[in-house]
Amino acid sequence: MKPHSLFPYWCRYVGWGLVLLHIPATMFGQAHGMINIIDNGPASTGLFNGEHLFFICTSLLMVSGLFLVAFAKEKIEDEQIWQLRLDSLRWAIYINYLVLIISLVFIEDVGHMLELNLWVPLLFFIIRFRWVIFRLNRALSREA
Amino acid sequence: MKNNIRIERAIKNITQAELADQIGVSRQTINSIESNKYIPSTILALKIAQVFGKQLEAIFVLEEGD
Repeated sequence: MKPHSLFPYWCRYVGWGLVLLHIPATMFGQAHGMINIIDNGPASTGLFNGEHLFFICTSLLMVSGLFLVAFAKEKIEDEQIWQLRLDSLRWAIYINYLVLIISLVFIEDVGHMLELNLWVPLLFFIIRFRWVIFRLNRALSREA
Repeated sequence: MKNNIRIERAIKNITQAELADQIGVSRQTINSIESNKYIPSTILALKIAQVFGKQLEAIFVLEEGD
């Protein structure tokens, strides 16, 4: 099976770079009052104001980073890895919808639900996928 | 589905890594197949049989309940 719909292997490192870059960018935003985390709401209203643009930039950094990490090829992308990918993706969608349904019932703030929807599937996919690969490697080292 | 890849490897005297290289998969995949944790696709099973120069049924055997 030839997985055409994946990024090259090196994109994983670019992805982690973007995720890491998101941290100082967010800290910079907080330091300069561009993100109002304490009030949990925008400091000024309107689309494409300073705060909104900053939120877009930092969110884009994080999401594109996670996206590259999640969908970069493994060194040897064989059919078992492909199977694990699909399986992890299925679980990520289950968890995402579970979280969405719970937040739909218990949380009033719809804006935060969008944010949840941005991170949860990618993050859970990455965690689950890396965990099964770690278990495979551990089984292999036990065998050796 | 059972398989006797481990025995065939021992007969042919090749390692998991060598078999993996020959059929273009990772060593983890060979190990998972040998320990019956992963059932290979038909293409991969045929490639494995080809490496050992045997019929598919000589390497992969259906179990009850399959």
